Amino acid sequence: MSAVPGLKEDCEELLGAFQQADTVRFERFAELWRERRFHTVFYGRIRALERNKLTKKTLELAQQYFLPPYSFQIRVGALYLLYGLYNAQLCQPKQKIRIALKDWPEIQKFQQDLLDSQHYDAAYVFRRLRLARAFHFTAMPKLLTYRTKKKIEENYFKEEFKDPSNRVNSLITNDVLEELMNIHGHYQKMKCVISADKSQPDKALSLIKDDFVVNLKDMTLEHQEWQQNRMKLFRNAKETDETENKKKEETLLESEGSERANALARIKYRSYSAVVEASRSRRHRQVQLESSEAGSSCGKSPSKKTSRRPQPARRRGEMQVAKEAVTRHIGMPVITEENSDE
Amino acid sequence: QESHATGKRPDNLTDQIEEGELLLTLNIFYPVIFQKHKDHKPYQTVLVLGSQKLTELRDSISCVSDLQIGGEFSSQPDQAPEHISKDLYKSAFFYFEGIFYNDKRYPECRDLSRTIIEWSESHDRGYENLQSVKMEDYVFNDLSLKIGFPYLYCHQGNCEHIIIITDIRLIHHDDCLDRNLYPLLIKKHWLCTRKCFVCKMYTARWVTNRDSLAPVDPCFFCDVCFRMLHYDAEGNKLGEFLAYPYVDPGIFN
Repeated sequence: MSAVPGLKEDCEELLGAFQQADTVRFERFAELWRERRFHTVFYGRIRALERNKLTKKTLELAQQYFLPPYSFQIRVGALYLLYGLYNAQLCQPKQKIRIALKDWPEIQKFQQDLLDSQHYDAAYVFRRLRLARAFHFTAMPKLLTYRTKKKIEENYFKEEFKDPSNRVNSLITNDVLEELMNIHGHYQKMKCVISADKSQPDKALSLIKDDFVVNLKDMTLEHQEWQQNRMKLFRNAKETDETENKKKEETLLESEGSERANALARIKYRSYSAVVEASRSRRHRQVQLESSEAGSSCGKSPSKKTSRRPQPARRRGEMQVAKEAVTRHIGMPVITEENSDE
Repeated sequence: QESHATGKRPDNLTDQIEEGELLLTLNIFYPVIFQKHKDHKPYQTVLVLGSQKLTELRDSISCVSDLQIGGEFSSQPDQAPEHISKDLYKSAFFYFEGIFYNDKRYPECRDLSRTIIEWSESHDRGYENLQSVKMEDYVFNDLSLKIGFPYLYCHQGNCEHIIIITDIRLIHHDDCLDRNLYPLLIKKHWLCTRKCFVCKMYTARWVTNRDSLAPVDPCFFCDVCFRMLHYDAEGNKLGEFLAYPYVDPGIFN
């Protein structure tokens, strides 16, 4: 299915604003929705057939944000978004929201979470959707269509919407800590039993740090806090970024994963994009930069970047653009064979 | 998809589809007759219930090759037989996941898949055990299927249609709940019909070869123009030609 232009950006903007608002109340979401007059998203197509297609694609897009790995707040926002879109649609009978079989346990868990944390407005919204029979219970999430795609679109998640990948927390859970405490206590008791003095273990038997479980717990908490702080800083930096002057030196507040990738990409870009301009007699052998973007036919499509040394990027804006360009199109020189006679 | 049958309820409550019924969406592709169809094959989309037998789907597939009338009838145009190919050659099979489901409802039905099974067993060709069973004994709920994977429907001996399942979901309140209307056709590719060479108005019903009276070979005629050109008032054949009854692929529009 070809994407509806601008729809993804609009939805992400709304969800982003909702995330900024730092609340999960429906009233806040409704305000944001009304501010943007979001219901007009369906006004583009008038004919019935196109209206159906547009609505289906819109609901499919919004539905993706409703499932993991997005953070709790984004998922609640997606739920409200689905509710708004489902009711604002112009199709009669209404287009439904497709949920695959494999996703239902997640959603039921989500609903239970909502009830447990007393977010009754979100739970009510979900209940309203269920009662309105807004869902299609399907085997697969995406409805198949048969157009040969020219490019396989990558589905990449917006970094800020994702729950910070808390691998440490998923390893050292409360249960694990509890068990460790129990085992530790047991171990201490065993040591006491076999020691001469029944009230405390022998000095010779003290082979581990006694309070290591407590330390472990403290460390994981610290890590979690640090991660949350970093996320906040990152968000704030992005915000102030757009308002500040672009002459500032770039501050490296990016997610760790892309940092390394960016560094590598930068190095590659510098080495490969330094294309020497050939002398007149060898102009036919001029090296041209090609982009290695997936889908483009390497070596045949006209070069996208001109062959000159890139200016050292001092401004954040430029660097940002270069970086973005680099992470997606890593330029590799290709010698175009025009004629070999000299 | 919106269709004429959305939301329909049956007159008889026993015909109403129950909750928990599965709804499959199948794309049945036409066999490639015209070269322009090679890249974007035209197809029809059919909704089928999980509890329906495979034979019900087979009966609902309308293919122009079923209507072909074999034989040359220039000498006796009025006697083009009543029997269409559908009645003469009743064998057909579906191929899903390594099993051939052959239509065996009538004594004339043959096992068309036998050739394929024998071929695959003759040497170690790397195909798993292919089996052959009766189509009328199975319903869609019995099958294990892959969504998006091409399967086959073959009839008339060599007319092959690719079948792709695009969606499986539970039946919904807003769907058509009249069991008798299923398998339900919801989308059909519209084919251009060939018109009579003479009047350019009616759909062609006859095709002639080596026709001394026609400007091109082959040449298509509607029934009226065909008779007016090729036969005199008494019904005698004029000129030399071979004539065959013609069924246009667009007949199902």
